[in-house]
Amino acid sequence: MSSVVTSLLVIVFVLFSLLTTASLLIWLERRLLALWQDRYGPNRVGPFGLGQVLADMIKIFFKEDWTPPFADRPVFVIAPTFIVITALMSFAVVPFSPSILVSDIDIGVLFFLAMSSLGVYSVALAGWASNNKYALLGALRASAQMLAYEVFMGLSLMGVVAITGSFSMQAIVKAQENIWFIVLQPIGFVIFMIAGIAETHRIPFDLPEAESELVAGFHSEYSGMKFGMFFVGEYIGITLISALLVTLFMGGWHGPFLPPVLWFFIKVFFFICGFILLRASLPRMRYDQLMAFGWKLMLPLSLLNLMATGAVILWSS
Amino acid sequence: MISDATYTVMFYGLSATVILLALLAVNARQLLRAALGLMGMLALSAGLYVMLRAEFLAGVQILVYVGGIVVLIVFAIMLTRSSELLEDHPAKLTRILGATFSIMFMLIACYALGTTKFTESESTQAVRDEVRDIGLALLDRGANGYLLPFEAISLLLLVAVIGGTVVARKTPPKHQPFTTGGDLRGETVAHPPLVQDDEHVVESKS
Repeated sequence: MSSVVTSLLVIVFVLFSLLTTASLLIWLERRLLALWQDRYGPNRVGPFGLGQVLADMIKIFFKEDWTPPFADRPVFVIAPTFIVITALMSFAVVPFSPSILVSDIDIGVLFFLAMSSLGVYSVALAGWASNNKYALLGALRASAQMLAYEVFMGLSLMGVVAITGSFSMQAIVKAQENIWFIVLQPIGFVIFMIAGIAETHRIPFDLPEAESELVAGFHSEYSGMKFGMFFVGEYIGITLISALLVTLFMGGWHGPFLPPVLWFFIKVFFFICGFILLRASLPRMRYDQLMAFGWKLMLPLSLLNLMATGAVILWSS
Repeated sequence: MISDATYTVMFYGLSATVILLALLAVNARQLLRAALGLMGMLALSAGLYVMLRAEFLAGVQILVYVGGIVVLIVFAIMLTRSSELLEDHPAKLTRILGATFSIMFMLIACYALGTTKFTESESTQAVRDEVRDIGLALLDRGANGYLLPFEAISLLLLVAVIGGTVVARKTPPKHQPFTTGGDLRGETVAHPPLVQDDEHVVESKS
């Protein structure tokens, strides 16, 4: 019985911290972008503008939730749920500390990859159901981009899996007690990070929603809380990629002096700020550049990395 | 940990939903909804695999079928014109043939299911290290190994990849030295006037 209560508590803790982080991240991103671009950002509501989070939430809940008459209604409604559900599900396998994790299944990494491969449905269905050419173009771009980058996202993680000898996230963190995998797998780390940004379609890979050419891409027709779900989904996605970078390459909850959970959150926060800095400083790529970069550089690199890792493991054993 | 009754309820719930979604996939008038039904059906079958304690298989099922193949189907549907896909009225002959074959298939399936003896598996402990077992079996050269099919499939996939690239690749026609084709290295080539472009399309079809 107590195990049920503990796991329920952990689930509530994870969900609560994720959903609050997602809304706080919107504020953090706007403030940091403003700082790096030498302007003010939201600083009026409450201390440091923190009340802006609450104001935005109230606004988005009370906005008219409009479904365009030309849209395919059922598909239009379920599309935004995919991105949030799959991102939240992926957190089930992320170990926050030695004891705080929802489930330590044997196929943790595979589970994450499976869930992230479902995220593409959200974008594709939203664009199709909107029955709008900009949305459809955005969805087409997004599907092609996510399919392409998913391939070597998985491949880049296989080096880590091969070194650990397990798909379990907890085992991967434990294997990094002496040396973090960023040292052993620097190429895998870089490739996973790039693929992660492309999967969450953030700048420089935000072609699906490029506002200067596609209005807002796949979510042009969305408003109210349905749009809010895309927005929250994107921020949970950023948190997820950061959490996985920490778990798989940066030693997870390992660290001196401070408690493990705190170390985990500090590292995740560092990567989230890194993603925001990327957005503040990089321009958007062109579509053919994006595809050529993915298929002609990233994929061969990740294959080479995997082969080299395998060779070293064979040679040393 | 979970009682047998819960398992039974879960099994029948999952199975019923899988059957409903499969019916949706077959009966939906809109191609995209059919694809959605297929996607849900495949995803929930992964749930059945989890109940059989074949977690690796469940993960691969979602990764390959739901996250790969059905996404490609959806992608193909998006590239076609949706108005043409809204309704289709198959010809009478097609319907009769379809019904005959479905009934025949159902009879065969019922016969096969009726004559198979299902035995309860001895223990649930045996599947503990399934990822390792699958990996070893795939690369085993012995009588029970799958090395040959594994290599044959990799060769087939390689052929498919090369074939796809060749089909998708634009080759400039021989008699026209300056055309839109030949943009093979991802470099931007100055586009000739639109008229010439049209000619190229027509001639390559003939």
